[in-house]
Amino acid sequence: MLKNNNLGICRRLMMREIKFHTGQYILLAISTCLVCMLYTFSLCLGNLTYNGFIFSYKMIYGSGSHILFYDLTPSQAAGIKGHRSVREAVSLSAIGVLSDEMLENRSVKLASVSPGWAKETEAVPMQGRMPKKQNEIALDELTMNSLAIPYELGTEVSLKWTPADGSGERVDTFCLCGFWENRMGQTETCAWVTEETAQKLSSGGQKKQALGVTLYRPGDLERQGEEILSDLGIQDIAFTTNLAWNDARREYAGLKAGRFYRLNLIVMLCGILMLYHIVRLSAAQDVRFYGRIKSLGMTPRQLRVLWAERAALLSLSGLLPGWLSGFLLCVVLAPHVVIGMEENPALYFFRLWPFIVSGLFTFLTTGIACSLPMRAVTGKTPVEAMKFVEKEGGGRRRGKRRRTSLFLMAFSGLSRRTNRSVPGMASLFLSLCILCCIRTMGASYDQEKYLEGMAVFDYLIADASATASIQRYNPKSRSIKEEMYQAAAAHPAVTGIGVLRTMEVPMYAEDMERAQIIAAFEGKDESGTVRKEYMADNPDWMAGYEKMRDKGEYIGIATGVSGLMLEKIMAQNILIEGAFSAELFDTGQYVIAAASSSSELKVTPPAGSRVMIAGREFEIMASVPLEESMISGANSREAQFHVTYYMPEEVFEELFPGYGIRNVGIDIDQNSQEEFELFLEELLMETKADVISVSDYQWIFRNAVFHNCMIPLFVGSVMLLIGVLNFGNVLARGVLVRKKEFAVYESLGMTRRQILRVLLLEGVLHLASMLLFLVPATAAVTWLWGRWWIANTNTWCVTWHYSLMPLWVSIPVLAASALLIPPYFLKTVTRESVTERLRVF
Amino acid sequence: MEIIVKAEGLKKYYGKGEALVKALDGVDLEIERGKFTAIVGTSGSGKSTLLNMLGGLDVPSEGSVQIGGCELAHLNSEQATIFRRKQIGFIFQNYNLIPVLTVWENIIFPITLDGRKPDKKFIMEIVRFLGLESKLDTLPNNLSGGQQQRVAIARALASKPSLILADEPTGNLDSRTSEDVVGLLKVTSSQFRQSIVMITHNPEIAAQADRIIRIEDGKIAM
Repeated sequence: MLKNNNLGICRRLMMREIKFHTGQYILLAISTCLVCMLYTFSLCLGNLTYNGFIFSYKMIYGSGSHILFYDLTPSQAAGIKGHRSVREAVSLSAIGVLSDEMLENRSVKLASVSPGWAKETEAVPMQGRMPKKQNEIALDELTMNSLAIPYELGTEVSLKWTPADGSGERVDTFCLCGFWENRMGQTETCAWVTEETAQKLSSGGQKKQALGVTLYRPGDLERQGEEILSDLGIQDIAFTTNLAWNDARREYAGLKAGRFYRLNLIVMLCGILMLYHIVRLSAAQDVRFYGRIKSLGMTPRQLRVLWAERAALLSLSGLLPGWLSGFLLCVVLAPHVVIGMEENPALYFFRLWPFIVSGLFTFLTTGIACSLPMRAVTGKTPVEAMKFVEKEGGGRRRGKRRRTSLFLMAFSGLSRRTNRSVPGMASLFLSLCILCCIRTMGASYDQEKYLEGMAVFDYLIADASATASIQRYNPKSRSIKEEMYQAAAAHPAVTGIGVLRTMEVPMYAEDMERAQIIAAFEGKDESGTVRKEYMADNPDWMAGYEKMRDKGEYIGIATGVSGLMLEKIMAQNILIEGAFSAELFDTGQYVIAAASSSSELKVTPPAGSRVMIAGREFEIMASVPLEESMISGANSREAQFHVTYYMPEEVFEELFPGYGIRNVGIDIDQNSQEEFELFLEELLMETKADVISVSDYQWIFRNAVFHNCMIPLFVGSVMLLIGVLNFGNVLARGVLVRKKEFAVYESLGMTRRQILRVLLLEGVLHLASMLLFLVPATAAVTWLWGRWWIANTNTWCVTWHYSLMPLWVSIPVLAASALLIPPYFLKTVTRESVTERLRVF
Repeated sequence: MEIIVKAEGLKKYYGKGEALVKALDGVDLEIERGKFTAIVGTSGSGKSTLLNMLGGLDVPSEGSVQIGGCELAHLNSEQATIFRRKQIGFIFQNYNLIPVLTVWENIIFPITLDGRKPDKKFIMEIVRFLGLESKLDTLPNNLSGGQQQRVAIARALASKPSLILADEPTGNLDSRTSEDVVGLLKVTSSQFRQSIVMITHNPEIAAQADRIIRIEDGKIAM
């Protein structure tokens, strides 16, 4: 008998409710959409941050395989391929390694084409094709740049390489059939030849194989690698595991993504508040409605279904636009979060789960917010629910009887909404504090200071063999042509230009000169640390240093500089020793010594001593700290310990005729930045020379500032929205719940104009009372926090800049709300006649 | 004599201490099946509170209510609601019409909630009798007070409950319609052996009842 029931009626009731309260539902749907957008945005950002890190680890590792096994015999490779843990395997048969000294920081294997390996390591030609004919070869661009190989298919390429069988270095000539850009494999890649060529070059001997395996379960790769080898009884085989599946790195990536995921808690809280404020507009009315239908026989279960369907419909209406707008926002911001990718990270790392989770969260948020009237009905008898009236905050009784004025009526109305204003006020205060602090922080980041420190030149052009930090500069590369330099120098926007050429030369230091360097490196510096100890983890440097200390032999880098290059070196104005004279320097009999040092230690031969460079004697005029940001690329490993000797460019050309330009530094008139960058782009189109521009640094700076400010900005903006919404809500409620009260006023002779004036006065008083607190409190908090931040930040490029811009911007918005919302809602509630309104329960 | 409603020691107190209000203060009552009972009393005497207690719309501070032998206090909220909509028809003083539903939908609302099919023939008879045929597709807000009251009466009768609790059902009707409505209630009650408990201030209507109960200060006056 007491079995339940018809649930279909719930949907009908809900649909009718929507039809009757369209405005409120539209507002709720927009808010739900906003909530869904914020969830989608933060989840997608978290997802792409995590995957961005994993992707970068994979790039560093140079392969998509989970484990790489090296030096396997064909039978060992076959055994590993068939192991139960291995899902897929790709193999590489390398016949040797390119051994040109220009490739010393990288490992380029000469191997027969392996499509699987090529795919896993992204070593697939983008120009031309894989080798198909005898003696054809496909190379990566970094190798080509280092070896000064032109980007022309069909070019004859002579390569120095060392066979894997240890038969000694040899040189062979190939025909370039394809090349690719290095996305992966900066340090390790392959030079592909055909199987026949490989057989011929290796004289048909048995080749060792490398094997890249993809596992079924990519966790704890070290253990799995060892397990595979021990299961097969293979010993003394080296393997490496992919960094992208390293637990610690994954944990770190998760940590970085976590801050975006944690945003969801704030979104949920803010979303509930936002929707709750809208639902509250008609909460009492809704409770009475639920009480009424309860009295007519609607069971608690049916009420719950009604609530759930309402929440589901609202969520559904907000999902699609929320997903789309959240994802679009993510697409716009993703390049600032994951930098350095050609593809948009949001599209590249697209996953479905953030959308599913954001949908569920949206439903949860909407459900919680919409359950307010439902919770108010729970535990109440139908009679209690039907009589439900929300408690108004009580104004104080006036001690004296006074004549009533519109102002006093407004003041009394204001005091009735005090309690209701508190959450909105708190939200406004917090959000404005966050936004003003962030604005102060953002404005205090000093781009000029940053550019001064980071970008020595507005543009630094680097030779193609010196674009990456692992690339050893090849003086024979000559990708920066003389005519290019001349054209750039002739451009009207250029205010200064200079070149830098380098050549590594073996040098000898006499005992006296050596003594100064040894004293600098082996004595204690101001912090009590022996400088040499800093370099203990760099074996090449240590070997170079010890050679200099023991035998006096070291590598000097003769550096020819001209124009702006020399100006910038000397503009640093840090002379460790000696004095600079431009006239004497131009005579070509003097050099300036420079070496890397974090302090002003005398790490070069002393000023006044004489050095022999390429058979010519020079006197050291002065010594300065080495300005490494002026030089791109790497020197040889042998030159890890070196002393740089700056000399006039003409002298360098006399000593080393016919070599290329390593770097060109250019300063321009900032007003012509756009025009000059177009010119530069065109100028460098035909060459692989790289340019680091001031706009790159500007972008990096802005991106870093944005990155630092993004999360608090996001939180502050959402909270501000909640605060403004709550303020509007309080104003709207102040009219809507007084439908009957206004009818009473009207019945007693008050005009609508007078009621409107009371409401406007209430709004203005409300705003003024809020601002009386908000302005000084926000200003004080921002100032105190800003000063603290400036004093404690470890960022060097900041200049104190106090800003309350968000506060000033929000005041007109609040004022507009105070002036526009009451008249709108008054119009709504006074549509019915006075009698009809007086009859309202 | 079959008892349909039995109330024992029914009390309903509001507030505490000095502010304590005794809306009902120990009411014992039995109502026979098929009889028309009128409850009269001054404003604030506790008539509506008693009616709400009898219908399970409110919970007594003390005492018990049995409807057709079923102790309401023993039912949970879900069961009490289903029991109420199957056994009791309410006519509220303020109509309690659902503003988002049409007149017809309002009338069949308790039946729809129950998942039953409405007896259209029977309901149309009531509708015709109450003069609501032309208003069936109208929303309650577009009806006069009297028309809304008639919709509430039709709704209470539509599910053929065994007990009809009416809180001043004729308060907004003219005398002629009031008489007709009471007549209708009496006809349907005798046809379906329904019991009617009606609050009224109208002595003429009260006079038509089989029994009159007078409430004063929360107690039944002897």
